[in-house]
Amino acid sequence: MPTLNALQRHALPSLPLVIFSALLLYLALQAPVLLEPYTLNLILRQSLPTVLVCLGLATVVMVCGDDAVAGGIDLSIPASAVLAAGIVASQVAHHGTPIAWAVAMAFAAALLVGGVVATLVVLVGMTPLLASLASSVAALGITKWVVDNRRINLSEPLIVYLRDAELGGVSVSVLWVLPAVLLFYFLLHRTRWGMNLQAVGGNRDAAELSGIAARRFIAQAFVLAAATGAGAALLLLARGSGFTPGSEENLLLEMVLATYLGAAFSPRRVVTLWGAVLGAVLVSALSVGFKSIGVDIFWTGCIKGALILLVVASSALARKSAA
Amino acid sequence: MNLITPRLARHALPRPPQALLSCLTLGGVFVLFAWLVPPFLQWDNLRNIVDGSALLLILALGMTLIVAIGGIDLSVCIAFDMGAAFAIVALKDYQLAWYLAVLAGIAGGVLVGLLNALLVVRLSISPFLATLGTFFIGSSVQRIFTHGGGPISFREAPLEFQNLAVGVLGGVPVKVWLAGAVLLVYFVLLERSILGQRIHAIGMQKSAAQHAGMRVGAIVFAAFVFASATCALGGTIASANMQMFTPMAGHAYLLNAIAAVFIGASLRANGRPHVLGTLLGTLFLGMVANGFNLMGLEPNEKAAAAGLVLLLALSLSAWQQRRR
Repeated sequence: MPTLNALQRHALPSLPLVIFSALLLYLALQAPVLLEPYTLNLILRQSLPTVLVCLGLATVVMVCGDDAVAGGIDLSIPASAVLAAGIVASQVAHHGTPIAWAVAMAFAAALLVGGVVATLVVLVGMTPLLASLASSVAALGITKWVVDNRRINLSEPLIVYLRDAELGGVSVSVLWVLPAVLLFYFLLHRTRWGMNLQAVGGNRDAAELSGIAARRFIAQAFVLAAATGAGAALLLLARGSGFTPGSEENLLLEMVLATYLGAAFSPRRVVTLWGAVLGAVLVSALSVGFKSIGVDIFWTGCIKGALILLVVASSALARKSAA
Repeated sequence: MNLITPRLARHALPRPPQALLSCLTLGGVFVLFAWLVPPFLQWDNLRNIVDGSALLLILALGMTLIVAIGGIDLSVCIAFDMGAAFAIVALKDYQLAWYLAVLAGIAGGVLVGLLNALLVVRLSISPFLATLGTFFIGSSVQRIFTHGGGPISFREAPLEFQNLAVGVLGGVPVKVWLAGAVLLVYFVLLERSILGQRIHAIGMQKSAAQHAGMRVGAIVFAAFVFASATCALGGTIASANMQMFTPMAGHAYLLNAIAAVFIGASLRANGRPHVLGTLLGTLFLGMVANGFNLMGLEPNEKAAAAGLVLLLALSLSAWQQRRR
């Protein structure tokens, strides 16, 4: 591959953004309904589960480093989300458990998955990729057993409230998630804990030499990520009016796409919280947009997969030319 | 890039003696099932285990090649599905002879492998992300192609094609012969040839291999194509078994293939993926599935139990492999 000059090196990672913007512009022109407040609210509401899991993934990437193979990735967050959703749905619909207890059980289960991943990475020494992949298989298997691999309808007041209630034209679920995003931002960028966490991700050796207990932060990041999965579970249930088997695949796809797309937004081309959140909203806009112009949902999945490749190819090429 | 010995594993638990833990686990599980369900030990059942592991073995061998070269291939199930799809379509829509249908199936896998190879070698994307993208695209393409995920069946497949999966030759199922043939090819390639040594070298330290003058790009490219072609052969045999192509049928094999490779890798002193280890890993997983079947577990209970066993097996393998 010929060496790219400096202009190309800076332009290349922005290529996915350009293509993304072009796609959104095309969709907005084809379906002006996209720009109406109702649709914008829908886009925001649909993006919420992805926003939450992206917060978790971004935290893990920040603490473990950017390289997707040896560094940070947590494929088990969608699995934790789906497991938690399944537990809530099954407990409320099949066992009559009060919603508060069901949510508490779901949170505990998700945190357990996060704890397992943390243990595997920090104590057993697995790569985050393998640890999270193996944990997600176990979590998804348990989910199948919990919900009997069946769709469960939910009409629980909390779920309906999250799905339907609005305040000033904006869904209340958006108003619940926004503080969560701000909280994450505050935690990661305005507290000493967050600064130490980023130090571990930046250079683990340097961090350890400065006296930071890197393993503790890494473990905490994975558990925190699983907690975002649990939060996403409630929104998944609200979005789907119940539990739908197989929802983890789309969530995984959108999580990976949004997080890595978000890296294109930051000046240093690293995964960031706001980038990931913006990425999640844009991915949702894309989904809603394609649906508005009548594109088959499977084609949308195909395009999202291609976009992931485009995003990582351009940043990989840019990194290669910078090396 | 090295999936097997990560940096994060400093100051972790002390490593148990080489391979001992894995051997104990394999043996222990075997004894456990034999005790829990006596029919487990019957000759017919043991033959069932081998028969049922044939397809997984083919997939796991393809995965072994990719892990040996230092990557991971999440799209082996896509190659598997393409193999099935291309073969069934060749038979049904183009009325090709059975051996041409098999070639068509393998061609489907080659296409998937070419995509992966281009992404990894030409565009320098990490194998994990590249094959993840292929996985998503491939799954979507299958849904598009089948208008929502319905199977394509072809009941009038020629007998020779059906025999690929259900035929018996000299008392041994053809499926097992084919898996054995693939095993032999991979063993010679990975463990007894110079190309195999180069593949391991690239997997252990790519930069050193490059400096030593090996044509790393070409070898990695060929590896992805060959691995996907192998998986497509597995898919073709699967389609012959059911006389239909079921979209996303390969998904079920993906994690087991990864597990088989890593369990196998832990059986060797240096923790490198190798063909015989993959064979043992595959048989172990086949044994576990068979045992759960005999215990009469419901499909969803099996899913949960198998998932936990997979997690445990991978954890033990990783614990054993970890190096300072």
